[in-house]
Amino acid sequence: MKRMFGLAALGPVKSIGLVTAVIAFLLPFIFTFEGLSPAGHRMLAIFLMAIVLWVTEAIPLHATAAVIIFLNIIMISDRAMVPLPDDFAAPGFAVFFATLANPILMLFLGGFFLADGAAKYKLDRNLAKTLLKPFGQKPANIVLGLMLIVAIFSMFMSNTATTAAFMAVVLPVIARLPDGDRGRIALALCIPIAANVGGMGTPIGTPPNAIALGALNEQGIQISFVHWMALIFPFMIILMLITWQMLVRLFPFSSQSISIDIGSDYDRSPQAILFYFVAGFTILLWFTEPLHNISSSIVGFVPVVIMLSARLISDKEFHSMQWSVLWLVAGGIALGTGVGRTGLDGWLIGLIAWDQMAPALIAGALCVFALVFSTVISNSATANLIVPIAISLAVSLGEDMSRVTTVVFVAIGASLAMMLPISTPPNAIAYATGQVQTKQMALIGGLVGAIGLLIFILVAPRVWDWFGLMPG
Amino acid sequence: MKKLIVLCVEDEAEVRDAVIRDLAPFKSTVRIEAAESVDDANTVLEDAKATDQDIALILCDHLMPGTHGVDFLIKLQGEPEYKLTRKVLITGQAGLEDTVRAVNEAELHHYIAKPWKADTLQEVVRTQLTEYVLKTQDDLTPYVATLDGARLLEAIASRGRDA
Repeated sequence: MKRMFGLAALGPVKSIGLVTAVIAFLLPFIFTFEGLSPAGHRMLAIFLMAIVLWVTEAIPLHATAAVIIFLNIIMISDRAMVPLPDDFAAPGFAVFFATLANPILMLFLGGFFLADGAAKYKLDRNLAKTLLKPFGQKPANIVLGLMLIVAIFSMFMSNTATTAAFMAVVLPVIARLPDGDRGRIALALCIPIAANVGGMGTPIGTPPNAIALGALNEQGIQISFVHWMALIFPFMIILMLITWQMLVRLFPFSSQSISIDIGSDYDRSPQAILFYFVAGFTILLWFTEPLHNISSSIVGFVPVVIMLSARLISDKEFHSMQWSVLWLVAGGIALGTGVGRTGLDGWLIGLIAWDQMAPALIAGALCVFALVFSTVISNSATANLIVPIAISLAVSLGEDMSRVTTVVFVAIGASLAMMLPISTPPNAIAYATGQVQTKQMALIGGLVGAIGLLIFILVAPRVWDWFGLMPG
Repeated sequence: MKKLIVLCVEDEAEVRDAVIRDLAPFKSTVRIEAAESVDDANTVLEDAKATDQDIALILCDHLMPGTHGVDFLIKLQGEPEYKLTRKVLITGQAGLEDTVRAVNEAELHHYIAKPWKADTLQEVVRTQLTEYVLKTQDDLTPYVATLDGARLLEAIASRGRDA
């Protein structure tokens, strides 16, 4: 129960954040920046405020998204409260409202339905049980099995939910291991890392991917579900294997064998079977997009339609879906649209002499920048703030810098940040179990981040070129 | 993060100390406050209110000088800010009538008979605090290590959003 109101109730960081956000918002109205249009000034106010709010989380992340959409409408759209100069082609206000139903979000929503259904009918547990069997009882093999399964699940479910579900499975196993067994740490760390890394694997794996794809859509570039997977999945698996080896070497097990008990059986009720069918069908259509050309977001709406109609998802479950995530992504798309339409992007990019640097270096630097940023703030907020600038940078540098590579790098960089408990919710969960110390997380998280950067910045673009995976 | 408060109301110093000792495993997640009477307990509630801290659980004796435990719990049940507070009676001397009143009018969550075993008390406290945080807290992670980790992880999995 809140008994205090006003700034005092927020605590020092958040109240400073709120005050700073207001000041940041006012700056472009006090100072005039050369070369920036009047609309650009207004957008700069929104952008600066968004940075402060998303970094300090003075208000919830999705509330900031709502503020951005609203301010875009009343400040830079065709319904701006204070009219803009006639030479500015103001976007229609509906454009900003429409971000809330962007096709990418509908794809994401389809993912939510599949994830909720999988949890409801315990398909996640049962599949995990079946898939874990071949890995036997040798601790190191079990860790590999867990990592691969968690990674595959978090390609379709939220990283957070996957981590929590598997931590619940692993905690009793950890409790049975002898006190000094360092393997406990390996078990507790393998799950959040696999979830963070696994999230990179599909467009719906984690919000930064959606933000990247949303920005590409605005540019008229469509990346299909399998195309994204072809770009990322192989490298994701390689990173996972390296991480596995690091984990079992740094934190070796003293126990010879462990067993994981996931006690449940496949649900065979008609509802569950219908769900299995819907999930299988949806994923099949996602994987075969090049054959039938049905957009993945349209396919993503199939489970929504069927599961709502057949009441596989109840009203209550529908209401408690992760709508805030969709709003957060929508806020990012609205911010990107505003930044692009007002010419703020060009002005910001003009502040630095980019042409002095090699394009490949710039793209790599954006990836590193995203990683550093999202180590301390939310991955989605990071992507929301960096993607609009990154895509304009790629556009301004022309053919030398692929737009796809650039925004993919930002999304990957955001996902690779996992050094601290606060870096991602999966890390926070693993840390909360009390089985992992911050320095252990920092060590392994730092290594995964660094190796991930090397793989994606140095190796991946070459492989993409060889196989002709990059659209022009 | 502001800590949740567990309030123990017990007139006998020895018994009070025993309860506090048994609650030691929860010290890292909750603040434990002791009161020797209902009057004393009301002071703790006032202080908590002034510093904006929430009372998660009250472990209350029944037969005490002044107001009796059951009457205290019933009074609290009528106040909206303590509606979600978990209420547990630890007593040897509450008659059937008082106990029934506690269940019906204070929505008593648990009854522990004296003498109790440490692990029974800890189990009850763990369950009650877990119920409380599930109902009231947005972020459950701080409680996973000391409360019912499996249940909390389950809840995190079903709420689980990436940010």
